[in-house]
Amino acid sequence: MHKVIPAGENSILIYFGKEIDSSLPAKIKKFSEVLEKKFPNFLIETIPSYTTLHITYNLDLYKKKYNELIEEIKKIPENKTTIKSRLINIPVYYGFEVGLDLETILKEKKITLDDFVKIHSSKEYLVHAVGFSPCFAFLGKVDKKIQKPRLKTPRVEISAGSVGIAEMQTAVYPINSSGGWNIVGKTFLDMSLKNPLNISKFNIGDRVKFNPIDKKTFIQNGGKL
Amino acid sequence: MSFKVINPGFSSSIQDYGRIGYKKYGLNQAGPMDEIAYCEANHLLENNFNNAVIEIAFGGLEIKVEAETSISVTGADLDFEVNNKKIPIWKNLQVFKGDVLKWKKAVKGTYSYLAVKGGFQTGILFGSRSTNIRENIGENLKKNDILKFKSSNFPISRSSKNIPNYEKKSLRIMPTCQFQKFTNSQKKAFFNQGYTISNLANRAGCRLTGKPIMLKKSKMISEGMSCGSVQISNDGYPIVLMKDAPTIGGYPKIGTVFSLDLSFLSQKKLNEKIYFEPIDIEEAQSKRLIFNKHFKIHL
Repeated sequence: MHKVIPAGENSILIYFGKEIDSSLPAKIKKFSEVLEKKFPNFLIETIPSYTTLHITYNLDLYKKKYNELIEEIKKIPENKTTIKSRLINIPVYYGFEVGLDLETILKEKKITLDDFVKIHSSKEYLVHAVGFSPCFAFLGKVDKKIQKPRLKTPRVEISAGSVGIAEMQTAVYPINSSGGWNIVGKTFLDMSLKNPLNISKFNIGDRVKFNPIDKKTFIQNGGKL
Repeated sequence: MSFKVINPGFSSSIQDYGRIGYKKYGLNQAGPMDEIAYCEANHLLENNFNNAVIEIAFGGLEIKVEAETSISVTGADLDFEVNNKKIPIWKNLQVFKGDVLKWKKAVKGTYSYLAVKGGFQTGILFGSRSTNIRENIGENLKKNDILKFKSSNFPISRSSKNIPNYEKKSLRIMPTCQFQKFTNSQKKAFFNQGYTISNLANRAGCRLTGKPIMLKKSKMISEGMSCGSVQISNDGYPIVLMKDAPTIGGYPKIGTVFSLDLSFLSQKKLNEKIYFEPIDIEEAQSKRLIFNKHFKIHL
């Protein structure tokens, strides 16, 4: 059975594994949807992440429903699950004006910009978690050839749309924020909540593909250098 | 019918009970920092528990009443005045066109609440009127803002029966999350010392300073987090997660503060002392259930 530990007076954490694994997002997503359907009034919030599902429940229904929930958790199958997932395309301009850490990475890894773009953009990344901020999707896994740890000192401001790398993860910063990831490019897509539909742009288990674009296309579509 | 903001003060924002159901998308609940004072403010007016109020941090807010209605003021003592006359808080009262409400300065505590009969009718986004500055949802009150309400009957005059004692320094904490992974000496260090509120306390988290708890470097995978959970950061200091905290994070958590004790924490000022004491989850649950029933909180 999956390990369940309390996280508060009306919340628990369910563990699906000990290590980050590309088979887990599908499993966690599927199970969280099953639970949401089975316990529409009892489950108030779910937060799927890399290896866990965090659940907030309605304390008023605790006596009636909690044991039933635990029984359901016992039924989680151990085998792999497949789910329908969406493919989300994100156009990215990989240029030195916007990719503030590109030069350092190219030098350190001894590769050309073309090499880098090919490696970063040829893969379909899996959404392992959404959080930190709305629309911030943690994507993995980045090819070992271009992995780089977080900056020692985070930048005070990273502009919205910036694409970053931190070890095996990559992500787009949806709004201007501070952050310590290595910035390698930028998209012109608006991912902020100024457009409320962006709230559900990424779901755990979705796939993301970065499509390289040139500077002209980036600027024509409203991208800011 | 409305109020008009003459001076927005340091930081005043609209809050209702909060945004529910969006954590999976990375959007946290927001809502009042001091739930007890917030619920009491609505209760004094026989409002619904989810009616929007104004949360006033540190004072400075000045508001002109443009139509007769009933209000209530609870929470911190921010030197509340009506027409330049000091008025006791934790009561409801009737106000009239032309009255000026003023929260002059922080005397004791941090957050005060102004509720109006029927609640403030501001815009709803993702199911809630709560402002969330971190995510650019709504903004703090500005000069000349018009705050609409729909007043009807006036409740009978009454005052709060159970005013919280904000002098309380102990926060009850449940053994949750990574509690079992902390060593006995780390737990001892955590429970046997007084912590000080640092200047890095805000609506997202309350950072405490004290004798650091040294952690062995270990890899923790980011996971969903509960409001009130206490992270121990790399430098060994606790951070209590508050209403605007990020939804997921990768620091180990030594426990979760009982939801109603966050009210007391939120009212502490820079350099004030607090300490932690254990509480069972079952005990916290039954105390919270009594609170939910009293204030008719239905989610």
